[in-house]
Amino acid sequence: MTEVVRPVVAPPAPWDFPAAATHDLPGGLRLLTYDVPGQYVLSVRLGLPISLRDEPRDREGVATIMARSLDEGTQRWSAEEFARLLERKGVSFGAGMTDSGLSIDLDVVKGNLEPALDLLRQILTEPAFPQTEVARQVRTRLAEIDQERAVPSARAGLEFVRTFYAPEDRSSRPTGGSRDTVAQVTRDDVARFHAQHVVAAGVTMVLAGDLAGLDVPALVDTALGGWGSGGRERARYLDRPATLASDRSRIVLVSRPGSVQTEIVVGAPGPDRSVEGGWAPYPVLGFVLGGSPTARVDAVLREDKGYTYGIRSSFRPRRAGGLFLTSGSVRSDSTAESLRLLVEILGSGSEGFSEKEIRSGVDFISKTAPGRYATADAIADEAVSMALDGRTTEFVTSNLRDLRTVDAARVDAAYGRFAERAGIGAGPRSGAGWTIALVGDADAHLDAISALDLGELTVVGDHDA
Amino acid sequence: MTAISYPLVERTLANGLRVIVSEDHAAPNVAVNLWVGVGSRHESPGRTGFAHLFEHLMFQGSRNVKSGEHFSALMDEGARLNATTWFDRTNYFETVPTGALELALWLEADRHGHLLDAVTQENLDNQRDVVKEEKRQRYDNVPYGSALIDVYAAVFPEDHPYHHPTIGSMEDLDAATLDDVHAFFRAHYAPNNTVLTLVGDITPDEGFDAVQKYFGPLAAIPLESRPRHAQLPPIDGPVRVDRVGDVPNDRLYIAFRLPVDTTPDYLACQVAVDVLGGLASSRLMRRLVRTDETAVAVGGWTMGLVDGVGLGAFTVDVSAGADPGEVEHALCDEVSRFIAEGPDEAELESVIADTERSWLSALASIEERADHISHHALLTGDPDYVNTFVDRLRQVSAEDARAVAAAWLDPGSRAVVRYLSDSSGRGEEGEAA
Repeated sequence: MTEVVRPVVAPPAPWDFPAAATHDLPGGLRLLTYDVPGQYVLSVRLGLPISLRDEPRDREGVATIMARSLDEGTQRWSAEEFARLLERKGVSFGAGMTDSGLSIDLDVVKGNLEPALDLLRQILTEPAFPQTEVARQVRTRLAEIDQERAVPSARAGLEFVRTFYAPEDRSSRPTGGSRDTVAQVTRDDVARFHAQHVVAAGVTMVLAGDLAGLDVPALVDTALGGWGSGGRERARYLDRPATLASDRSRIVLVSRPGSVQTEIVVGAPGPDRSVEGGWAPYPVLGFVLGGSPTARVDAVLREDKGYTYGIRSSFRPRRAGGLFLTSGSVRSDSTAESLRLLVEILGSGSEGFSEKEIRSGVDFISKTAPGRYATADAIADEAVSMALDGRTTEFVTSNLRDLRTVDAARVDAAYGRFAERAGIGAGPRSGAGWTIALVGDADAHLDAISALDLGELTVVGDHDA
Repeated sequence: MTAISYPLVERTLANGLRVIVSEDHAAPNVAVNLWVGVGSRHESPGRTGFAHLFEHLMFQGSRNVKSGEHFSALMDEGARLNATTWFDRTNYFETVPTGALELALWLEADRHGHLLDAVTQENLDNQRDVVKEEKRQRYDNVPYGSALIDVYAAVFPEDHPYHHPTIGSMEDLDAATLDDVHAFFRAHYAPNNTVLTLVGDITPDEGFDAVQKYFGPLAAIPLESRPRHAQLPPIDGPVRVDRVGDVPNDRLYIAFRLPVDTTPDYLACQVAVDVLGGLASSRLMRRLVRTDETAVAVGGWTMGLVDGVGLGAFTVDVSAGADPGEVEHALCDEVSRFIAEGPDEAELESVIADTERSWLSALASIEERADHISHHALLTGDPDYVNTFVDRLRQVSAEDARAVAAAWLDPGSRAVVRYLSDSSGRGEEGEAA
């Protein structure tokens, strides 16, 4: 049989993120619309610049409970009636709090946009927060806290933030609140938080999809033109980076006897998108170190050693400051060896990157962009995420342009700046600069991990969270 | 209602490969999606988990492709790719910039035609280890991780192809040899056991020509396909499995056998299960979560399968302090009431509106659209299902939904898998299935 010759690939044309049309409403709400022909489900997203630091210390979780109670009954309808109203129009609705703000998501088929926007108006401006529904959301969150404690990846994440951030910083504690603070949340707390923070000032609303034949600004103006601005300065907390723990460079092992795997999180402070030298090299760095099955981490831990199903690294920028995070799980009896290899590989950036590696990262990230942002929901998600970062999607386009100029020298320099600020390799112990959280069988691995001499090692109980 | 009509053009190559092209120039990308007609239902006793292990080996090199090169060569050109294995099939896919389509087809044809030139003991051993970690991560080391494995075993008879899960048994994987790999490839991997779908920035003629160029030279094989199993009846009397252990809260899985995928009765079962447990405003949500407050979450889902049976289930996360026995009783009450009354008009309207939105959302991306097209071309013979599904669901009447619930969701035919927290102090209660 004759062999078919391997084809040559024609490079794709440069690509820009779709352009938005902008409309400002009197209350301070900014509407961005993206017309994406052929996308028959419209994606509506709102980003509200509310900080977790806006929560009272003894009511942490109130923003999450408030978000989840928004559609649980309005001045006019009970929770059950409202759920049915949404469902009969095929509207999916969700709201949630993250460290970058409050996000509201609504998806609806094009033909039902107008009634959906009226339901959104009621959710935003007329929620009733009935006592029984808020109490139910509190119970649900308490059950979720138990789930988070039980799932190894979530448990490791909780231990990581507790170790990485300063104890007085909100980021050191769970986004949705802790058992003792959530249990205190009342419907009055929720109503007060809503009245104070769910206001139109500073809000970005995104609407993406097939908009042909729709006068979206007029529809949004009709629905949300009366939403009060609240008249307060927003984002005062969001622009301030989190405070890190002074002793963050250490290892915490959560003891879970008999665990068949060990969950590993390794992190260090990373840049935000305004970093000197540009943001573009950092996603490439994350990709080359641990962003794919062919990256440095999995080439060894998965494809050579077979210790893991997969470990992933990425830079996670916040509005101010950020993180470089690597996480995954490994076979229990490979725990210490995996950890040693992982720290070694993550630190290997200081020895530089090859042009070939960097070209792979640049090509993957830039050439996948048109496909990653092809659907209404992906476009809307990116637009609202940029808005909560204090940017527009023009950043996505300019960053993609800059990305094409990224070479090994720029990535080496970016790694150098990251490592220097994080303190990677600064000190006698090889774990310097890293915060490491592990969930696994402490009795079985403590000695071997200790012998690696990565840094100060603490063991905590499984339920000490 | 939104009328949808994605264009579909189909052609079968001389070697039996079914090719479907759906043109869509919205983005400069093409989704390449292959469904091979082999899954865990084709595995024999002592050889479970093999279809999935084999899928991993498909990334470890073939005649002209080095180990790992499939990933790296495609990612360098801007492809997003992976593969999955399930009861009925194995699926390989990538979304590529239009200019990389031929490279994707060349790489796929090389491994779908000439994998065995490159399979080594070392690769087999390595991927066996990786699959074991996949199982530990996804099933063994998370609460409720093995619940669905228990559900399959409880619902389907021991000699039925869906009795064992796709991940299989680790002892069976340990026993797998290179000879098994060769035999498996020769028995199942061939153009005449495969559907290839292209969706995106390409015309049907361009698509067919490109596929012919790379897949045309592959040879068909003699397929030894057994006829599909006859429809299984509902379970004869309740089956119970209790697992007591370290879980955050009690969780119930109450499962039923259903008709096979895409039959009118299966669709009517989907409506019934949605009304009972799938919708945000479902009857179980109203009863258990809002009224009784004995559950923090409920769900209802169906799984379409083709080998003589389908699966439907309700899941309930029991509130702290509530009695799981009483919750199960209340759930059975609601199912019985549905069997007596059927759904009301508002419930039917909600199912249709909710399904239409979620179906259109699923089809919004070319990769997921290609996946659904391959699915129905391979397993139900009707790729146009993507265009007609919502209309078919609209045909389900209240009486249809009531009648299939009476036939398939009778509480007397349920399988109950309970994961109970050992802190609640209960011992083993039920009989193991």
